[in-house]
Amino acid sequence: MAKDHPIDLRQDRRQWLKTSATVLGASLLPLPAVAAETSQTAPAAPETKPAEPKSAARFLTPAQHALVDELTETIIPADAHSGGAKAAKVADYIEQFLRESFDDAEKALWREGLRLVDVMSRHYNGKSFVEASPEDRIAVLTVLSEHTQMTDLPEVRFFIELKRLTIRAYYTSKIGIHNELEYKGNRILQEFVGCDDPTPASS
Amino acid sequence: MVESEVNLTKTYDAIVIGSGAAGGMAAHVLTSHGLQVLLLEAGKKLPIEKELRSMEWPYDNPYRGQLPPDSHSLSFNEYTIRNPPYGPGFEKAKHLKSYIGSSDYLKNIVVNERENPFTGTNYAWVRARCLGGKTNIWGRLALRLSDYDFKAKDRDGFGENWPISYSDIAPYYDKVDLYLGITGVKENLPYLPDSIFQRPTKLNCAEVTLKDSLAKMGRVLTQYRAGVTTDGLKHNKYRSRCYGRGACERKGGCDIHAAFDSPTGLIYPAMDTGNLTLRTNAVVREVTVDPQTGKASGVRFIDNQTMKDYVVHAKVVIVAASTLESARLLLLSKSRQHPNGLANSSGHVGHNFCEHIMGPGVAGRAKNLVGKPSTLDDGRPGGFYLTRFRNLAEKHPKFIRGYGFEGGSGSTMFPRGTDAHGFGAAFKEEVRKNQGAFVGMGAFGEVLARYENYVDLDPFVKDKWGIPALRFHYKFGDNEHRMAEDMKETAQEMFEAAGFEIVNVSGRVLTEGWSIHEMGTARMGSDPKTSVLNQFQQSHDVKNLFVVDGSAFVNASCQNPTWTIMSLCWRSCDYLADELKKGNL
Repeated sequence: MAKDHPIDLRQDRRQWLKTSATVLGASLLPLPAVAAETSQTAPAAPETKPAEPKSAARFLTPAQHALVDELTETIIPADAHSGGAKAAKVADYIEQFLRESFDDAEKALWREGLRLVDVMSRHYNGKSFVEASPEDRIAVLTVLSEHTQMTDLPEVRFFIELKRLTIRAYYTSKIGIHNELEYKGNRILQEFVGCDDPTPASS
Repeated sequence: MVESEVNLTKTYDAIVIGSGAAGGMAAHVLTSHGLQVLLLEAGKKLPIEKELRSMEWPYDNPYRGQLPPDSHSLSFNEYTIRNPPYGPGFEKAKHLKSYIGSSDYLKNIVVNERENPFTGTNYAWVRARCLGGKTNIWGRLALRLSDYDFKAKDRDGFGENWPISYSDIAPYYDKVDLYLGITGVKENLPYLPDSIFQRPTKLNCAEVTLKDSLAKMGRVLTQYRAGVTTDGLKHNKYRSRCYGRGACERKGGCDIHAAFDSPTGLIYPAMDTGNLTLRTNAVVREVTVDPQTGKASGVRFIDNQTMKDYVVHAKVVIVAASTLESARLLLLSKSRQHPNGLANSSGHVGHNFCEHIMGPGVAGRAKNLVGKPSTLDDGRPGGFYLTRFRNLAEKHPKFIRGYGFEGGSGSTMFPRGTDAHGFGAAFKEEVRKNQGAFVGMGAFGEVLARYENYVDLDPFVKDKWGIPALRFHYKFGDNEHRMAEDMKETAQEMFEAAGFEIVNVSGRVLTEGWSIHEMGTARMGSDPKTSVLNQFQQSHDVKNLFVVDGSAFVNASCQNPTWTIMSLCWRSCDYLADELKKGNL
């Protein structure tokens, strides 16, 4: 997908929502998520390990986990300098965050957002987000990134949350702190080294 | 000591209510005079090193340092659109915390808002109920006040002068400096007197650029004056010197106690004298009064855990529960002799409530540092302090009093600039290249102490222990809003002059209370009709009652209050011990 003219998100979404309802709706219903929720409220299965009661039911299905993997990697990709969100296991953090969250609105937003982003990918790229090329994935997220003021739209709110959690998880990971930012602190110092070359900052 | 073993039947020389900066200092000074002191703390003694874990990497924490999922901390927006006591809308959070409790390291230090409700106008009221109170997590900026503050009325006619001058308190600032340790650089400023500093921290390159640029404008940027011992304290075995480990930005909390906290700095040494008895989990609900003399006879408290009621007696009662809790306690202590609450014949208890307004500030980049290799910039207890420059030699046409800026520069463990637009490879590179070039500062300005800004008791709402909640009647006024506009303008102008690329200039004023610098609800003064305490923080009405925390402040100045709270308290407790020996209390 290559668009030279700016996208009208509100107009486009009428189209893709129509398409998804008729052609693709059935396959995109967040059924596994509903199942996961049900199992959370069901009585604890006898084989559940008491040490980790919360990890019994995963929030993301394997397919959704794969989608989150690609979404987060599109937000912070691997480059010549360091690994990206996939290497930093950002999707695992998001899975844990959502699985343990008490915020039903946040959970619903993720289910809806994951569905819509796939619908968008099919609309713009003719294939699912995971199947799309890196360039086509960027194109989908660019549509959302360029419309972050439209917070009435769930896909926009989803993108904002996706970016927020990806940043939080990536820059608190080993890869983010040590490989990407090469953070030098959190060690014992005999003396803080100040500025020995105060050249003007404006130069 | 096990709580059940604490002797509550004997009459102590003094009971101190609260174990923060003021209560810890009172315990230290009074026990050093040989007095038998009972120190009461509403919360428990936390295993504080295990709470703070200053060097834990975020990836070794199950929530990356954030709150666990059953907890929620109030955001700026929530403070703006919700009214206290923050009930509806937050049902899902088992633990509801003030804005500062947004980290896994502070979650047991700040209170659960639900157990500690308050009502009235919005206020970001941060409370820490545990041994040491807020000193466990304070921002460490340790500044002196001057006669520009103590005699501010003489300069602009507003409010009241303090009943003391700088010369009265200066020797006590010196004592606090030497006993607790402070880092900084001498600047010889009449409006911001120097302390007796230990080894200073160093400025990094962008900060030096800003300092040099400001010098041309006649303004002063100095190293963060932190209540942190950089050389160590030979007389204190509980505290280590600072090792520049960083992580101070995690909103305070130093697990080697290089940063001052009341337990290791004051309370444990006081216990070593053998004169101090500590009772934690003691929620004081009333200062009791002798029906014959009208003097304070002791306190009633409820055990935080068992909910059992206790009464304990003392010759002198010292209230140090924090500015707002102290006012609440005085108002709760109604009796036949003191129908408006204790020490309140003036009607000023709860009034003249003031603090620091904050929010306006600027963020930018030192262009020459963009894309440079990563540097270590946060291995120190703070960046810089940009001292007050308004209403010193010249009068500002739009507002009275002043403000200063706290700021810093360089890379941090969690990078600045992740609010950049977009995503992908360009976003990632931008964050990486800009992280070390960041410079930012935010202002702290004086909120005028006005009678109309006050707290009283809510007639209906009670806390978990059945004690009436505090009700706020408090708003920033015109002077504060005009000052905030000026903060924004000068912040931008100073960054432009330094040649920084400006990323964001904000004039947004944060919710009342955000500075956690509440002061002035039981002000000192020489006139018992318009003040609650005399110059020794002694009640005009009740000779054996002292209120030694920030509530005694006559105005807020624009300097952070902790160092002044402790210096004033030391002076008052020296006086108290002397008067007690003379039989005057």
